[in-house]
Amino acid sequence: MGIASMLQIDEMMGDFNRMNKRQSLYQVLSFAMIVSSALMIWKGLMVVTGSESPIVVVLSGSMEPAFHRGDLLFLTNYKEEPVRVGEIVVFKVEGRDIPIVHRVIKLHEKEDGSVKFLTKGDNNNVDDRGLYAPGQLWLTKKDIVGRARGFLPYVGIITIFMNEYPKVKWAILSILAIFVLLHRE
Amino acid sequence: MAKKDDKAQPAEELVKVNKWDGSAVKHALDDAVKTCLLGDRPQLKEQFGLVNTRLVLCALAVGVAIMAHAWDFTHPFPQSRPVLLFSVLAYFALMGVLTLHTTFREKGTFAVAVQKDASNKSRTWEASSDMKKYDDKYILTLSVRDGRGQREQTSSKSCAAFIDSNGIILEHLVANEVNRLFNSLAAEKKDK
Repeated sequence: MGIASMLQIDEMMGDFNRMNKRQSLYQVLSFAMIVSSALMIWKGLMVVTGSESPIVVVLSGSMEPAFHRGDLLFLTNYKEEPVRVGEIVVFKVEGRDIPIVHRVIKLHEKEDGSVKFLTKGDNNNVDDRGLYAPGQLWLTKKDIVGRARGFLPYVGIITIFMNEYPKVKWAILSILAIFVLLHRE
Repeated sequence: MAKKDDKAQPAEELVKVNKWDGSAVKHALDDAVKTCLLGDRPQLKEQFGLVNTRLVLCALAVGVAIMAHAWDFTHPFPQSRPVLLFSVLAYFALMGVLTLHTTFREKGTFAVAVQKDASNKSRTWEASSDMKKYDDKYILTLSVRDGRGQREQTSSKSCAAFIDSNGIILEHLVANEVNRLFNSLAAEKKDK
């Protein structure tokens, strides 16, 4: 009784119960619009940068001291820009979903512009051939998700935390959703 | 804490709001004004055009977003680029239109009703309200528009004039104010 009246749940439920059909529909649509706006901003970033994942979180310490676990990276993937040795690229191994952030250490280029390259994490002792698909010795342009263009330290720790404790993520999202749906404007 | 009011209308519950929450107070007062305006006047039929426009715009925007997401899901990124580009632009354009609609056309209007006279002339009544963020003044504007032009009356009172210390909205006080504005506008129109 004490906490519920402190949070004014009574009044919020009263507000909710007095909503007519149109008002309820508007509440649902408002919530949908918040989600859609986030989605559209993400898709917009995808279009502008040319990368399927314009913002990634560094998941391991294999690139220390340049990038640490939890750093946020901003990527671009413009076709016209050539891959060069020494650049930090984010790639996905075929069949696996996890993006890997490592540096290009060897590169072969053909006359038609197609490349094959080898990567290695700065903090690793061996190159990435152990990470590639069985039988794969080189990466190509189509494996690249993007090239690192900028970064924000530590901000990605929240994402790592939410992915390791998915129940926390769903709990927070549900509470936010309920609040948006019940509160009038 | 909503109690049944035995005296006047046994079927209605008293509306209680958190009196310190400005936005909840404004919405509760808007609801009360609408109930008072339309309740005793069966000749006023509520119109939903404005609200419907807003709902349709929102639904369209959400629809565009869903379509973009589905398309991108079925056609992985590089192929879906043109569709995504179009969807993003369309989405933000729709949001712009929606904002324009709420800011310039809707402007705090929460009730629109049409009254048909015996001579089949129709008058459109609109009720809108404004209550600034940390202000206690509830500015209620009632306007009527018919073939001869538009007139409006505004009442600017503290919201405390309609709510008691427990946060319960006193409908009869709201009704007094609404009736005052309505009769004054109706009388003025007849004189012209």
